Amino acid sequence: MNISGILVVTAAEHTANVSKQLQDLAGIDVHYVDNAMGRIVITQEAASISAEIDGLKRIRALPHIVLAEMSCHYFEEDRELLDAIPAELDDEVLESDSVPGCLNE
Amino acid sequence: MDLTRREFLKTSAATATATAAGISVPAAALAESEQADADVQWDKSVCRFCGTGCGIMVGTRDGRIVATKGDPDAPVNRGLNCIKGYFNGKIQYGKDRLTRPLMRMKDGKFDKQGKFQAVSWERAFDEMEKQFKKTYREKGPAGVAIFGSGQYTIPEGYVSAKLMKAGFRSNNIDPNARHCMASAVVAFIQTFGIDEPAGNYDDIEHTDTVVTWGANMAECHPILWARVSDRRLSDDNVRLVNLTTISNQTSDIADLEIIFKPGTDLAIQNYILREIVINDAVNHDFVNKHCVFSTGPYDIGYGMRGTSKYAFEAEKDIQAKELEVTLDPAEAIAQRRKPGEIVKQNNTKKPVKHWLISFEEFKRGVEPYTLDFVAELAKGDPDEDLESFKKKLQTLAELYMDKNRKVGSYWTMGFNQHYRGSWVNEQIYAIHLLLGKQAQPGNGAFSLTGQPSACGTAREVGTFAHRLPADLVVFNPKHRAFSEKLWKLPANTLNPKVGSHITKIMRDLEDGSVNWAWVQVNNPFQATANANHWLKAARKMDNFLVVSDPYPTVSAKVADLILPTAMIFEKWGLYGNAERRTQAWRQQVSPPGEAMGDVWQGLEFSKRFKLKDVWGEQPVAGLKADGFEDGKLPDVLAEAEKMGYSPDDTLYDVLFANAENRKVKWPDKSVARGHGNHIAEKLGDGWFPEKALFNEYRQFGVGHQHDLAEFDVYYRDDVRGLKWPVVNGKETEWRFNEKYDPYCEKGSGFDFYGKALKALPGGDLDKVTSADKTSLAHKAKIFFRPYAAPPEQPDKNYDLWFSTGRVLEHWHTGTMTRRVPELHRAVPTAQLFMHPHDAEARDVKRNDVVWIESRRGKIKAVVETQGRNRPAKGYTFAAFFDEGVFVNKVCLDVTCPMSKEEDFKKAAIKVYKA
Repeated sequence: MNISGILVVTAAEHTANVSKQLQDLAGIDVHYVDNAMGRIVITQEAASISAEIDGLKRIRALPHIVLAEMSCHYFEEDRELLDAIPAELDDEVLESDSVPGCLNE
Repeated sequence: MDLTRREFLKTSAATATATAAGISVPAAALAESEQADADVQWDKSVCRFCGTGCGIMVGTRDGRIVATKGDPDAPVNRGLNCIKGYFNGKIQYGKDRLTRPLMRMKDGKFDKQGKFQAVSWERAFDEMEKQFKKTYREKGPAGVAIFGSGQYTIPEGYVSAKLMKAGFRSNNIDPNARHCMASAVVAFIQTFGIDEPAGNYDDIEHTDTVVTWGANMAECHPILWARVSDRRLSDDNVRLVNLTTISNQTSDIADLEIIFKPGTDLAIQNYILREIVINDAVNHDFVNKHCVFSTGPYDIGYGMRGTSKYAFEAEKDIQAKELEVTLDPAEAIAQRRKPGEIVKQNNTKKPVKHWLISFEEFKRGVEPYTLDFVAELAKGDPDEDLESFKKKLQTLAELYMDKNRKVGSYWTMGFNQHYRGSWVNEQIYAIHLLLGKQAQPGNGAFSLTGQPSACGTAREVGTFAHRLPADLVVFNPKHRAFSEKLWKLPANTLNPKVGSHITKIMRDLEDGSVNWAWVQVNNPFQATANANHWLKAARKMDNFLVVSDPYPTVSAKVADLILPTAMIFEKWGLYGNAERRTQAWRQQVSPPGEAMGDVWQGLEFSKRFKLKDVWGEQPVAGLKADGFEDGKLPDVLAEAEKMGYSPDDTLYDVLFANAENRKVKWPDKSVARGHGNHIAEKLGDGWFPEKALFNEYRQFGVGHQHDLAEFDVYYRDDVRGLKWPVVNGKETEWRFNEKYDPYCEKGSGFDFYGKALKALPGGDLDKVTSADKTSLAHKAKIFFRPYAAPPEQPDKNYDLWFSTGRVLEHWHTGTMTRRVPELHRAVPTAQLFMHPHDAEARDVKRNDVVWIESRRGKIKAVVETQGRNRPAKGYTFAAFFDEGVFVNKVCLDVTCPMSKEEDFKKAAIKVYKA
């Protein structure tokens, strides 16, 4: 689980409208709105990094968005390291003058 | 994660973001977020990725990184982070992280054709040493090489550079930063006599006009772009101009987008210079007091080999241009010659030479660059109307010339990765200097960088084939003598012959002049253009390739020995960003398994060499220098004994863990604050290498215009990096401006005090006419550089332009960002961006797989006709992060002949359905 704090900036006159659109997006909570400056602070909760990035792209694609950048990130625990040789390094016999197969088309 | 914890974290995330945005937060929320962070240990640090140098706070719990946030106290990013900042806490934990040394083995022995097997560090260093000594005995210092990095920490770069230059007496160390900003460096040195920018990021808030030239800041420097966007929104007078060959996200909020044909940026610059001259917008007072005019030869080739011996058959027509060029009609006008004239490239060996010219000659140089000539040449989008394009060029020139307007010009790889990269860099300074709009808040040309310590390490430490620390160079006898004194080396230990630049090290591996190479903190076998040659070279039986890497990259795969390397927050380090800001961090977590930091690897390897192994007489083919016998470095062992060294002392004892450095103790009582240091602890001999070596290194620059503070200062809670020169504890905001820079002479106003290349002969646009040298101390140079055509352009066979670059969510070769598992799904493979009309003409659709073929190789990619990059007809673009879509097999290894930086932006390809 990833939780990010995101700053969204819009022109002052669009703040209320943009804020409403953000509130309607799944996984988004609107926390602070500065109407005069067009600044909106939200959090986004997402299951994975790809969902996190897609979520940010979705925000950027909304009308009147000038800026949407992350500010902070909390992660869930990651998987254990593998103390082993990656298979892709060990599955080839290289000829003296040839390029490894995985590097060719 | 339980609900309460989740809500706490959200409150904490929102509080941190609001604080960064300057929004006041209720006391209750503050208290709640403190509670959420109660078990997280936070420490200041620096982002691992681009050259912006954002400050981040890293949160650890139980020996793992669990959170990161933009540092609200960091002046660079003021609490914000881009997507890549988010990866800082993730990149250590990829599932295929390398944790043990791996060597190609067969029957219990090293075998070039063997399979990788895990070995001990001892066994790894044994083989590395044996292979090194074999090559060193046969070929001397020129037979070994290090591929260095703009991602080295400062102590890492310093260890490698000192080991190579002072220990092994070899200058064959060159960083991947060569591919990133060497053209910017040449222009800094030639124009100002000293490296790195005058201004800083605060120029963004001071300026009225931001002009980006070949820099997709919105996607590649998003945090700086956030500052630009803020500036644009806060003031209706502000204007943004984006000059690019491909319409991109930076154009989205630009007031003016100029799509130009590759290489014609040089012509557009000369058009602006001509406009400044004919409209008398020249700031005569500034120019007369602070500038001179200069030019150099045009027949300088394209940085290719001078022989076709190693070229593929299909490459030979382009390679032949290294020797002679037939001028096309535009070049003929631009260079005041005749179309079809054959010009022998007589100055490929001395492309950097230059001489003074008069203002009248300068005016004669820019005279051909009329609006009609330049617009016709430079218009990049075939669908754009010529008159509309002309209006855009006029508007651009007017914005620059407007006396009431401040202008900031920004660029990255569009200028730097260019067959005339040094020239386009110089011409942007020419524009700013001619207008007197340089080195003032809001006024200046600013080179952005792509790597986190391209400036701080590669440039300032000098991990280049020609450099020593603090802008000193190996071919200058005074600079060598100064370095030998500071490093306590016998006279003439240092090698005066410039080593091989990074592309040449690849060529050396191919032609057999280098047989032993060590790759550090980079992935050159993926990142170097024309890769098919270099992949084969790595696997030649005579070559031994060591790759230090945290992950199995392309470079690791073609290695003979892989050393598992500690990553960013697993070690102590310092980086220097693009605005001269040096920033530091502590080790936050331990490296996994047996992985070890690069500083340790260099130090440990140095223990295996005694002075008598390396400081005896050494052959260096082609060495010619005053005080040296031709082709030889002298035996300095006798002199070393007089200095108190024994021939049996190791390089570790003499260069690194010497008496002075051992006084700097680990455990450290001043800045460590309970943080570990896996390197000091593994060495176990009681010194603090990063601190000792940084404080030794800084002595190069103190009092020499490159002053850094002491190590401990950068770790203070109230310091978020300092911009050098740091004089009397104070950083320098704008250099060369008396108001801000203590190195300027009193009463000068402006003082371009850099010392390099400050005495020149005089001449006209074509040649030197008077050999007598004139001093130009305290002055900057305004160059005239003519348009020259790209050596490879689309033709009937290879009919499309091809350019490469980055995308937001991946960085460079993807070594780190691709490891974050979910990201494979986010951008599964690199895309070929092309115009829908070009796709249709080739009978391919969006998401089809196609072949991309050039003279040098072919690769498959997925077609994208929509989205963030929108090429005009005839243009294509692909990112280079994906080793599965190996774009550098297609790219051309042309370089700027002056900087030796490759041009990844201009190749000709054909595209057809796979």
